[in-house]
Amino acid sequence: MLVFAASDKGGTGRSVTSANVAFRRALAGDDVAYVDFDFGSPTAAAVFDVPEAMGGVESGGLHTYLRGKAAEPVRVDVWAETEHEVLRDRPTGAGNLVLLPGDRSGGEFAVGKDVLRRCTDLFLRLNSEFDIVVVDLSAGRSFAMDMALEVTSLPELRGVGSRWLVYHRWTRQHVIAASGLVFGSRGILAGGVARGHDEEDLANRIRFVRAAVPDPEAAPWAMVPPAQSAWMRKCDQDLNELAAQRNVGYTRMLGSIPLEPVLQWREQLITDEDVLSSRVANMETLQALKDLAQALDDDEAWGPA
Amino acid sequence: MTDAAVYRETTAQPRTQSVPLAHVSLELGHLYMEDFEGGADRLAEHFARVRPWADAVHAMAAVEARRPRVSTCFLIDDYFTRFSTPAELVPMVLAQAEKAGLTIDYLARESACAVADGTAVAEAVESRLVDSPAPGSDGSRPPARETGWLANGERAPGLETALEAMAHVAPWQPPRETGARRHSVFLDVELWDEKDGRRTWSCPFLAAVWQLARLGLLRHLGEPVLSPRSWPEAPFPRDWDDLPPVIQLNPAAAPFAAYRTWSALPTRFLPIEHAVRVLLDQIEADPQAMRQAADRAAGEGLPLPDEIPERISYVFYPGT
Amino acid sequence: MTAWGRAADPVLICGEVRTGLLQHSESLPARAVADLLRLRPDERVRISERPNGYAVSPEVLTGVDCRLPAAGGARTRVVGTVAARAVVTEGRMLQATASIVVAGPGPDVRHPWSHYLARPGVVEPLGKLPERAVADGLLAGRARPGELDLGAVAERLLARVARHRALDQRAPFKSRRTRLRWVALRALDGEGPSLDSFTLAEDGLRTVELRLPARVSPAAAAALCEDLALHDWLLTTLVRMVERSRLGSADAPEAVLSLRPAVDHLLHLWMPTAHVDRTLAPLWDVLEREPGFTRQWQTLVQRIRDQLALQAITLRRDALTAH
Ligand SMILES: Nc1ncnc2c1ncn2[C@@H]1O[C@H](COP(=O)(O)OP(=O)(O)O)[C@@H](O)[C@H]1O
Ligand SMILES: [Mg+2]
Repeated sequence: MLVFAASDKGGTGRSVTSANVAFRRALAGDDVAYVDFDFGSPTAAAVFDVPEAMGGVESGGLHTYLRGKAAEPVRVDVWAETEHEVLRDRPTGAGNLVLLPGDRSGGEFAVGKDVLRRCTDLFLRLNSEFDIVVVDLSAGRSFAMDMALEVTSLPELRGVGSRWLVYHRWTRQHVIAASGLVFGSRGILAGGVARGHDEEDLANRIRFVRAAVPDPEAAPWAMVPPAQSAWMRKCDQDLNELAAQRNVGYTRMLGSIPLEPVLQWREQLITDEDVLSSRVANMETLQALKDLAQALDDDEAWGPA
Repeated sequence: MTDAAVYRETTAQPRTQSVPLAHVSLELGHLYMEDFEGGADRLAEHFARVRPWADAVHAMAAVEARRPRVSTCFLIDDYFTRFSTPAELVPMVLAQAEKAGLTIDYLARESACAVADGTAVAEAVESRLVDSPAPGSDGSRPPARETGWLANGERAPGLETALEAMAHVAPWQPPRETGARRHSVFLDVELWDEKDGRRTWSCPFLAAVWQLARLGLLRHLGEPVLSPRSWPEAPFPRDWDDLPPVIQLNPAAAPFAAYRTWSALPTRFLPIEHAVRVLLDQIEADPQAMRQAADRAAGEGLPLPDEIPERISYVFYPGT
Repeated sequence: MTAWGRAADPVLICGEVRTGLLQHSESLPARAVADLLRLRPDERVRISERPNGYAVSPEVLTGVDCRLPAAGGARTRVVGTVAARAVVTEGRMLQATASIVVAGPGPDVRHPWSHYLARPGVVEPLGKLPERAVADGLLAGRARPGELDLGAVAERLLARVARHRALDQRAPFKSRRTRLRWVALRALDGEGPSLDSFTLAEDGLRTVELRLPARVSPAAAAALCEDLALHDWLLTTLVRMVERSRLGSADAPEAVLSLRPAVDHLLHLWMPTAHVDRTLAPLWDVLEREPGFTRQWQTLVQRIRDQLALQAITLRRDALTAH
């Protein structure tokens, strides 16, 4: 299954959350590929702790491949290449976890017929090999998103399942922007329909993910004076109303990841050790990531909202 | 293998049918609308000019083989413009040729080089183009193909490379002929164009197909295409579509296809034929058909060049 | 079949095979396979039905003018064409092979292109060719830029077939492709064919080194290596499926269930030398003795069957006690 990770703005938590979701699925035994189409700011290698692919690879990455200058893009076997203490010993029962990085000096570029064909071949190939293929797209209506919409509309891919996660933070501006990215006149739905997608079908394959959500009922917010706490609760309620109005409400939400101090400080994977042994990360975060990972192919969570 | 297999599946070992071959296929002319508009006189003049060259070709063939087999052919353009009818035109052509002392053994329609009896010949030939690789081509990328064009070398860098190199402004670079002797004669041949979804093959492309047909190198699923059908005398049909792709007018003629071809053409065809050679240099003819011709020539003790362009020759006589 | 292609005095044949599962929910019927492999409108797809379904596409050529990799850094420029073909077995397995026949020493300048097109699948060196060094270079790892990349040619052909619209892209299980690179030097006069090495290298690359008499055609060599690659893929894939199913672990029914696709789609594919030239078939015996391909396969199959039988008994017993 192809899982496209999108967001209207940068810095929403899209890459870090998606990488954690990919990691969770691999731990659960799935073969997972993480495709870094975030051509503007590649972060995946940092999250997976693969130094050689940091900020993209020198050459032979996705840009080189899509431009037709390499027969296949470089793959990084995360279990084998990571410098992360815990990840280096691949847990028993874990599936493959492979990162396909972009090129360091890559950036965006125009999509011609040949680029589309190569992207088609890439998606077909990855789909034949991996249970989950996470494609991290650049923020906003990017070239990468157009390409994803175009390729998934082709008859060649009609048998390949694809789903969209739209990430946003839990603020007014982010909720409005995320709604616009999906339902706006230049949004994913409109762009998809223009490329031959069925509107209803595509809408059923899009879900929102809230990232870095503060919980007024939990630490440290629960400690604040009553006035502040009441104000926060009111904000949270207002946001929920706004989200519902803008079609970003509960029915279209696949997951919500709490604000996590560890992630606030550092882009990284949240391991079980971080929660259970060193206890630097919160249990709620781990659980939310696990739930989101599981929801990817939980058909009850998808379909008409 | 020494002992023959007991079990055989015909679909597993498809056969390629061979065609009879003459020594030389001599093209006595190629008729376009503008020639036709010139009337019978223009035809008469044409044949009169070709006659001595035809004699020369016969004489040359006799040097190579003791009993030379030379067949003659004539091509009528019914593809780019439709004019007259076979019933009217064919007898006139035959009569004018005869006046000049020439016999036309075979007559072909140009549109048959595009589609013959329902077989998309031109399309199949296009799929047999194998681009000549520029030095450095290591197989890692597909050849830089402009759809619908074929060149004899590397094109000047286009927009894409220009954009990539934007940072350091790229100076103009000339196109380059592959295998040029120091200086390039770069040629880029248009194979077809499309209007309203209808593809029109270019004159050089159809001429290349015509050469392959005359060299006996075309096959479709192992069967020969553009094989002549006997039509010894009038009446000829009123519609070009009712005329077979190639007809045999002379029952005593040597085979239509031959080891080598000669074409007698007015000088204005020079650029077209240059393009034809560029195309033929990059067409992989059916390997079985190639082998059949090579084996047969070897059996007759005749030298036959491997290279297809080396098998074709011209006489260009003055004229437009 | 005749000699090593139409090369004058060929010294070496080599190729790369890419092998993978055809991405379709069920095995593709013969007619659809023929469509899939019709790479050229005017050439037939070769189809056999016995002893198993097997179809070979026409060959397609790619022109090259580049260096051959060579151990020790010798630089040999070659010009000619790479021949590539696709093969489908039992409507289930897809393979693409790119191969070349390397001719003996040639002149120092490049011929007109039509010279090479008259020798499909042959590359001619400009000047001398250190064949041993080239064989070693070809077998060692990845080609550097500017060096012949047969893998890329095979990969492009595989991708072209794999994106055909007849395929529903709903294969019954996920699997990885494998790459097998092979090199054949000429056998000494009077000596028969031999398989000198079969190596599992890293990154899923397999390398095979052969010695073949001049009378063996490149197509026959390709078919042999495709056969090796196919069975190596089957073994690799089944081993991995059994490993991941955690057969014999606590959750037995789950494990057996996850092996259903293997039973339905893979077990019947094992048929070494089904389409290998008779004179080359004995080369398989080497691998049967060491490491024992078929032995390992049969052991795996037996294990799966035993587990299936056990499960069936448990299920029946559960059903009986439930009543
Ligand atoms: N749940 C979270 N809690 C706190 N910080 C987070 C959380 N998720 C992500 N972040 C942080 O937010 C920043 C932006 O995340 P990133 O994934 O790079 O965003 P994007 O890919 O949308 O641009 C990073 O520093 C990341 O560590
Ligand atoms: Mg990011």
